Amino acid sequence: MIPNALCFGEEFPASGAPCFVQVGTEGLTIAFEANEDDGVKETTQFSALTVSAGGIDHDHLVVKWNSARSERTLYLRNPDVIQAFREAVPDHLDAPLAQVAERVRQVRHRRRLVWGIVGGAILSTALSLWLGLDILVEVAVSRIPVEWEQKLGESAYRDFLAHQDVVKEGPGVAAVEEMTHRLTEQIQNNPYKFQVTVVKSDVINAFALPGGYVVVFTGLMKKAESGEEVAGVLSHELNHVLQRHGLERIVKSAGLLTVVAIVFGNQQGLIGMMKQLGVELLTLKFGREQETEADLKGLALLQRAKIDPSGMIRFFERLSEKDEGRMEWLSTHPMSAARADRLKTEQAALSKTLPEPFTFDWKQVQASLGSQPVAVP
Amino acid sequence: MKSEILYPGAFPMVRVELAAGENIKAESGAMVACSPTIDIESKMEGGFLGALSRKFLTGEKFFFQTLRASRGPGEALLAPTVPGEIAVLELDGVNEYMVQKDGFLAGADAIVIESQMQSMSRGLLGGEGFFILKISGKGMLVLNSFGAIHKIELKPNQEYIVDNSHLVAWSSTTSYNIEKATSGWVASFTSGEGFVCRFRGPGLVYIQSRNPGSFGAWIRQFIPVSE
Repeated sequence: MIPNALCFGEEFPASGAPCFVQVGTEGLTIAFEANEDDGVKETTQFSALTVSAGGIDHDHLVVKWNSARSERTLYLRNPDVIQAFREAVPDHLDAPLAQVAERVRQVRHRRRLVWGIVGGAILSTALSLWLGLDILVEVAVSRIPVEWEQKLGESAYRDFLAHQDVVKEGPGVAAVEEMTHRLTEQIQNNPYKFQVTVVKSDVINAFALPGGYVVVFTGLMKKAESGEEVAGVLSHELNHVLQRHGLERIVKSAGLLTVVAIVFGNQQGLIGMMKQLGVELLTLKFGREQETEADLKGLALLQRAKIDPSGMIRFFERLSEKDEGRMEWLSTHPMSAARADRLKTEQAALSKTLPEPFTFDWKQVQASLGSQPVAVP
Repeated sequence: MKSEILYPGAFPMVRVELAAGENIKAESGAMVACSPTIDIESKMEGGFLGALSRKFLTGEKFFFQTLRASRGPGEALLAPTVPGEIAVLELDGVNEYMVQKDGFLAGADAIVIESQMQSMSRGLLGGEGFFILKISGKGMLVLNSFGAIHKIELKPNQEYIVDNSHLVAWSSTTSYNIEKATSGWVASFTSGEGFVCRFRGPGLVYIQSRNPGSFGAWIRQFIPVSE
């Protein structure tokens, strides 16, 4: 039989004497030996007892009384004994016992509350930092003037074109200019002066730099089966510029502190940062959400410009079907059936307008780009 | 099961004699030497989740080792990692001890080890961390400390003040509050004590004569900084 309580008093060790408590009808009986017939037994009337809560977690029932020898303090943890005690005690101990129970509940409640608050605070801080960063980035980006963005894009653009074979005139350039004109006409409050350059290269790619600088490679034009397909890619790229996706990526990669600096108007930090990042612009990759946004806004722009949007979808689908060599546009614009499907759904939702064809003949445009077929390794 | 502390002082070991079939659980890595009749097993005390919570919450080891005298009687020598005294307590089945996370060295098979969360103020300022071990059951419990172990006996309502980080183990019948060492905030920290634990009896409080955190800070100044 294991003792069910600890008894403290003058003649007992400081760690307390293990004892056996029995709750009777008149009072408590404590024995220090397991065998009831052996050793000392003390019985105390309920009327002589006082109760309180104690112990490291306030979860012990502490019963005190004055015995003939010394003051006795009993620490009870055993639920059965405590239950029996509560049932047996006369009325005068009911109120103190209720207070003890209330105190234990309060301590537990307070502890849970404190842990809950602290845990909640940590979680919500982490969550708001995570979610808030996007908002903060948006705010920071909106504070950057378009002129700065243009300067930034322009220097990267010039550096890039210096090493490229730029197509300066001809039906290809005229076609791209016509597409650009039709598209940009439809952009309201356009702060950008778009510059679209055709570069002679077999790479199937097109890209946009912050500030409105767009490069289309002849490889992409040769691969496209109609002007509408190229116009689709162009519309997508223009929307990367309009939505300032490049700046968003730059600001995001520059880190939280820079973002905060920009929001609070530390422009010197921004200039330094932009200088540092100028080179990286060409290798900038957009996020999935940014691609989706450029897709959907691009589709809407095509619609407004009365250019058949199915060209864009068809081109995307063809690109996703087979990886034919150097399709660099794919490496930065991962294709998926889901992406094309989404565009189809979006297109179906748009009101039907009668597309107006381009003035050029696409086969002639392609022929002017050179007879060399697309390199297939 | 009999135990004896060898070389009492800074570098003690405890010798535990096991009768045939008896076993003892010890902190992983505590065994120094043992009779060939003793098998060493590794065990996740309290099951996988219990072990996991002990590992992540208290920083105690995931596994305990069990030394079992399966092939006849034998003895095992156990020692802690840090220099410091060893104390052997006999648990009677009613007494429970709260033990700071590095304080457990070994215990009889019938003792129960659980992780327990402290209150926010004790966890933050008590110097023992948010989680401590609650050890109950019946049998031998071996504690180790950093420095010497000193036992403080508290009568009911008797109070005693212990600097935080000096605690090794305390009875569950005691209670303590965290408070500033002096009445003023500045003096509390300039006195070098910061926060202290005001214990109230009845029960026992085992303290260690050295503060591991302060010792670490002291020794750090002698470690060359790598380039």
